Amino acid sequence: MDRVNDVLRVENLAKKYGQKEVLKDASLSVKHGEIKVLIGPSGAGKSTLLQCINVLVTPDHGRIWLEGREILHTKKKELHEYRQKVGMIFQDFNLFDHLTALGNVEIGLVRVKKMNKQEARERAVAELDRVGLKDHIAKYPAQLSGGQKQRVSIARALAMDPRVMLLDEPTSALDPELISEVLAVIRALGEEGMTMIIATHQIGFASDLASEIIFMEDGVIVEAGPPAKILSQAECARTREFCAKLTSLY
Amino acid sequence: MDELIFIQQDVLPSLMRGLKISLLLIIPSGVCGLAIGVLVGALRVYGNRWVKAVTNVYVVIFRGFPLVVQLFIWYFGLPHIGIYLSPYVAAVVGFALCSGAYHSEYVRGAFHSIKRGQRLAAQAIGFTTFGMITHIIFPQAFRRALPGCGNELIYLIKYSSLAYMITCIELTGEGKVIASETFKYTEIFFIVGFIYLMLTSVASFFLRRLENSLRLPGFDHYGL
Repeated sequence: MDRVNDVLRVENLAKKYGQKEVLKDASLSVKHGEIKVLIGPSGAGKSTLLQCINVLVTPDHGRIWLEGREILHTKKKELHEYRQKVGMIFQDFNLFDHLTALGNVEIGLVRVKKMNKQEARERAVAELDRVGLKDHIAKYPAQLSGGQKQRVSIARALAMDPRVMLLDEPTSALDPELISEVLAVIRALGEEGMTMIIATHQIGFASDLASEIIFMEDGVIVEAGPPAKILSQAECARTREFCAKLTSLY
Repeated sequence: MDELIFIQQDVLPSLMRGLKISLLLIIPSGVCGLAIGVLVGALRVYGNRWVKAVTNVYVVIFRGFPLVVQLFIWYFGLPHIGIYLSPYVAAVVGFALCSGAYHSEYVRGAFHSIKRGQRLAAQAIGFTTFGMITHIIFPQAFRRALPGCGNELIYLIKYSSLAYMITCIELTGEGKVIASETFKYTEIFFIVGFIYLMLTSVASFFLRRLENSLRLPGFDHYGL
């Protein structure tokens, strides 16, 4: 129970849709610079867990701490401030369709952080440069490839100075050839010490980067441990079976 | 020849006077109607249960009552409860509220057409609900609603002719006055109709220009 040193900690998060329990008392924590990778079959609750962590889906119960402070997400102001500090990357990018790449990165700075326009522009250009898109800042989402869109969305999240990033299958909607450019950006973030929780099927990438791999199924965290252990000597038979399939595929 | 002189000297001056009143009806009704429509449309999507219920009732009534009946209520009905509106004010109130109900349908549909991901992404970077609607959802929804709302404005230009039913003598009213004095119904109402056609054409032209100026690459092309 080292709540003080954890960047983010959640305890007993649960979510039910009707009678279906999609998330059952999930708890996890990340320390500064750690990367935790969520794996598990579709419908295991990985997305729900990530969306409950920043309360895009309101958990039925459970507690959340950011940098040692409990987040009372029922208070709107507190929730909005908390979300600024938690970067979220979606599987299908969710870029704002009416804004250019630059506009997408800028708008949170100007409208949420109330930064002045000039400063916001400089910061946004710098973030787009960081993800290798300096030459595409004036393009609209429809004019970008999937990989470029995902990199814009990463720049958009980074501009808000997040303490932790949640990435929900960031490469699942991408052509095989575009996956590597996005993974390279995520890898670079990891090397710079960004704290991240990533749901992914890219097991090779995960085992390189992860401090810990967490296997989920049916809304439950089944098993967690260092990549080497989870991927080859997991305690639970189901984890071994799933990892064997992933490893042969990716 | 006589015909032309008659039209120039007697008909056109009255019709121009009527046209001025028509424009004074159409412009404020159009602006207020659109404002009401955007507000009500947004409330019907994002409001709580009670707000949704109240705004839905508004739309049911104002789309369900014939416009001319609404105008009669504003002008002839309200004095019974001690509220006296001038014909002009009654007409503008009637047009704006009716138009707002129709606009709100287009706006509501447009809000619903914006993908859930846009909302999630806005919330995820810390937008409040109000900020998300004004800066992310509305700019997109407005573009989608524009063709429908434009259509409603064109309708408004034409149904402004109902104002003469409550003695607000605008273009159609002036036309009717001269026509009954001279019995030249065909000529005069043909000219009146043509003036409305000019108005709707000008409005269509500017609406199209607005649509084009707001067009974004890849937004709303639906693969065309």
